Amino acid sequence: MCTHPPADEVRRLDKRFKKLDLDDSGELSVDEFMSLPELQQNPLVQRVIDIFDKDGNGEVDFNEFIEGVLQFSVRGTKEQRLRFAFRIYDMDNDGFISNGELFQVLKTMVGTNVEDVQLQQIVDKTIVSADTDGDGRVSYQEFCAVVGGLDFHKNMIVDV
Amino acid sequence: MEDLWVAVLWGMKIWLYLIISLIMVPAMFGFSLGISETYMTILIKTLEWATLKLQKEKADEQTLKTSASNGLIQREDGSMEKELEELRRSRPKPPVGGDFTLSDCFYFSRKGIESIVEDEVTQRFSSEELVSWNLLTRTNNDFEYISLKLTLVYGLGIFVRYCILAPLRITLACIGLTWLVIGTSAVGFLPNSSVKYWLSEWVHVMCYRICARGLSAAIRYHNRENKPKKGGICVANHTTPIDIVILCNDGCYAMVGQVHGGLMGIVQRAMVRSCPHVWFERAEMKDRHLVTKRLKDHVNDKTKLPILIFPEGTCVNNTSVMMFKKGSFEIGATIYPVAIKYDPKFGDAFWNSSKYSMVSYLLRMMTSWALVCNVWYLPAMHQQEGEDAVQFANRVKSAIAHQGGLVDLQWDGGLKRAKVKETFREQQQKKYSNMVVGDESSNSD
Repeated sequence: MCTHPPADEVRRLDKRFKKLDLDDSGELSVDEFMSLPELQQNPLVQRVIDIFDKDGNGEVDFNEFIEGVLQFSVRGTKEQRLRFAFRIYDMDNDGFISNGELFQVLKTMVGTNVEDVQLQQIVDKTIVSADTDGDGRVSYQEFCAVVGGLDFHKNMIVDV
Repeated sequence: MEDLWVAVLWGMKIWLYLIISLIMVPAMFGFSLGISETYMTILIKTLEWATLKLQKEKADEQTLKTSASNGLIQREDGSMEKELEELRRSRPKPPVGGDFTLSDCFYFSRKGIESIVEDEVTQRFSSEELVSWNLLTRTNNDFEYISLKLTLVYGLGIFVRYCILAPLRITLACIGLTWLVIGTSAVGFLPNSSVKYWLSEWVHVMCYRICARGLSAAIRYHNRENKPKKGGICVANHTTPIDIVILCNDGCYAMVGQVHGGLMGIVQRAMVRSCPHVWFERAEMKDRHLVTKRLKDHVNDKTKLPILIFPEGTCVNNTSVMMFKKGSFEIGATIYPVAIKYDPKFGDAFWNSSKYSMVSYLLRMMTSWALVCNVWYLPAMHQQEGEDAVQFANRVKSAIAHQGGLVDLQWDGGLKRAKVKETFREQQQKKYSNMVVGDESSNSD
């Protein structure tokens, strides 16, 4: 659980939220996120929005927004950030990264520049090297074992 | 009742005579009586006093976060390659296979969150936020009641701005515009001769000076030896249509633009009678070859005035310079870059065309404190060997951004209304793919 954020930060994020909410619906739709040019060029944008959207209604309301963003501030914990990164790959949120899920996410990151065969090879190798209990998929613990070491999670801090 | 009418009319006559003698005549002949200077000194002193007061209060609460960019977040400025290298550095390199690791997604997620919280592009399309309040209602974002004195000064400010300055400025602006139309039409009747050109320049500059007074503009020109010469193209960063008034106060330019109807159309037609401007019909603007040809013809005629172009194509909020469209850089003429920087303390010059119409924008300008800006004339630039128009445009853009203290962005100002092209995302994907599989060629199998 992150500590309570100061009113200042919440106020600024509130202003930002209102600015992004073009139709004043109180929730951010995918289109409203996509109005940001920098986000339009980011291949992982759909995954990020899906993770923000905790209740799965396709839109991000203010609480989801604050929670989502603050995970990335200095106030967030290492655990939260690793969970977020895990969720990027774990598309159906079942607690495991399957071969198919990793393939799909990697595909959005490389686009048409890598052939499917080659991509599948990369996916297979990654799963094999990370999958220590041999069930063919990567669990959260196995994921942390690969990336949780050292200071990887520090690269995810957004200084709000 | 009669007496009242007589008194009102008499008052208005005095008002007009005062304006003409104290403001118009000096403006016409280019000297100053020192009235605006005194006003500006008083204004600066008042704003400094207000800032000190605000800071004293805030110092107790310690909530003012000083950041150079006044932004919400700090950004990592590394490129994709650099950051992914860092992410991968501290783990053992796999014996075979592409260089992909599960932590690669960190980079994209972080960039995504950064953009969500504060992006470099959309913040340029709305007014800059001030670090400390300048006693205008419209810039009062977060500031609360501080003290009675401050509120009184603020109230006095409102009275001065709306009841004294605004009518004065509106009168001046109207006089300036009418004079422009009449003057240029009159000059247009003369046969082509050097006298006509001299008169036309004088009429243009004079009317723009009156308009500048109408906005209480305090302009400082730097490096005037680099002023644009005939047969060249002058490019500048674009914040507001008032940029034209600012630049034309110090010289005559040929304008480029679309033919409008209504009031603007009348002004345009009058102006083109006295000296050649380049006005396009709406349909003609789509034909790039036609546009280029006409501009080329104008530039090649060495007797014609330098063309004034704003390559950004749209108004941006004066904190950055956005992508320059390459059209004007393909003509092959000498480019004279000019950097314009407004001081936001005295009034926000940015025209947010989606929020305010032209008229309400002008009214806002006339009820600000003043319009203070710096204009830097940069040395002329030419297209170099082996440089294409886009590179040339970027070079000029960097020079302007550097001089004006603005952020140099690659983004297109047209993104105000349009979507990003798919190619940007494809570029990112390509770059990343290179990192993932690019190393394969060096592997043994």
